[in-house]
Amino acid sequence: MVEMIKKQAKDLDHNFRYEISKKVGAKSLLNCIQCGVCSSGCTVTEYVDMQPHRVVASCLLGLKDEVLSSQAIWTCSLCHRCTERCPKNVDYSFILALLRNMCVKEGRIPKEYSGTVVTLYDNGFVVPYTGGLKDNIDRRRNRMGLPQLIPPNLDEIRLIIEETGLGDLAKKKEDEK
Amino acid sequence: MKELALYLGCTIPLKMPHLEKAFRDVASILDVKLKEMEGVSCCPEPVSLQSLNIDTWITLGARNLAIAEKMGLDILTVCSGCYETLKTVSVLLEEDDKYLEKIDKILKKINYHYTGKTKVYHFVELFSQPEWLEKIKSLTVKPLDDLTLAVHYGCHLVRPSKIMRFDHPEKPEKIDLILQALGAKTIEFANKLECCGFCARLQEEIGEKLVEDKMTELCELEEEVDALIAVCPACTTQYDRKEKLIARKTGKELDIPVLYLAEIMAVALGVDLQDLSLTNRSVKPNKLIEKLTI
Repeated sequence: MVEMIKKQAKDLDHNFRYEISKKVGAKSLLNCIQCGVCSSGCTVTEYVDMQPHRVVASCLLGLKDEVLSSQAIWTCSLCHRCTERCPKNVDYSFILALLRNMCVKEGRIPKEYSGTVVTLYDNGFVVPYTGGLKDNIDRRRNRMGLPQLIPPNLDEIRLIIEETGLGDLAKKKEDEK
Repeated sequence: MKELALYLGCTIPLKMPHLEKAFRDVASILDVKLKEMEGVSCCPEPVSLQSLNIDTWITLGARNLAIAEKMGLDILTVCSGCYETLKTVSVLLEEDDKYLEKIDKILKKINYHYTGKTKVYHFVELFSQPEWLEKIKSLTVKPLDDLTLAVHYGCHLVRPSKIMRFDHPEKPEKIDLILQALGAKTIEFANKLECCGFCARLQEEIGEKLVEDKMTELCELEEEVDALIAVCPACTTQYDRKEKLIARKTGKELDIPVLYLAEIMAVALGVDLQDLSLTNRSVKPNKLIEKLTI
């Protein structure tokens, strides 16, 4: 389980909680009363190195590095029971998404997550839909009498990805291919 | 009943078109008025895209909503992942004018405009309304009287309820109501509301444990369960594939077939079994097909 963290006040990131709570939807972080309902109903509670209520406590304390380097924030199965049951309306699933976004900005992305934006950038779908693969899919749909798919305009999808800040991640991978 | 824009997503049309076929057959029998959406992208997928960048996730979702808004229609989804993304985006943008303005600024660069009006439905939401349940009942030609079915709601259909505003988040009943209208018996069981684990990507064992627990319970129930019914392609695949894998690994006899709701609806509404790809899965529903052909 979690190792005891010993830190002096000067080593804490006192602004971390506000970095999170300034985002609409994550303001609820500050409401936490550490009751532990989130952790007791959590689908993946046995598998994480830091349970949900401890992640929230660590955010409030300013243990930024410990939070962003924990595997807990990427292990979540997104079942939303934490958010549903919290008596203080802390939106843990959304806060977790925000913490993941922060990791991404620092380049800490598990490989299970980074590939999706590349596929989306290349296809407009998260399933490859080009060349031979596209032909196979089209043939199969045709045999079933399903209407032909109209692929999305890739320029539009790419512009959105770039404008919102994921262009480098999507393109860097493209160069590496 | 007004017309709806059909949003298919990626997984169903590209990887599991037999589910789309079943849904279209059902929609046509029930005379649901649907319009195809042209040029839509992935919803985008709520797990990784949201994790990578919330703004990218919301903006791509808003582009899809804008396409429906241009058509003057609300959206009907056939996947719980798409439902989660599009409904979340629609609710967030409806409630936050400043954020909507920011997102719309990006959309304007590609000649889209979203004013925040599109509503998003899952087909369960539509078909579980009283008038549709009546219609389903009256159009059922092959009542599922002999079947005992277990329902998997999945997480994203009902939670978080402050966004989804649909069924009870901890005691949902809408899918049961549809199956009961088709004549089937649905059962209560301890693991009914457990997550399928598909979205817990980092550790394979999480999904395996969740699937094993649910399937083992269903196999050990006193009453024989004919199938597990899901409404999301991810949950459907997860249970079907992992069940087979776990059976092989552990030697447990796990043999409950997993069907997508539209497939079993299609059967009851009279679609020929030959036209549905019911054997197109790891755990073959042979016993079920036998029961249905008698």
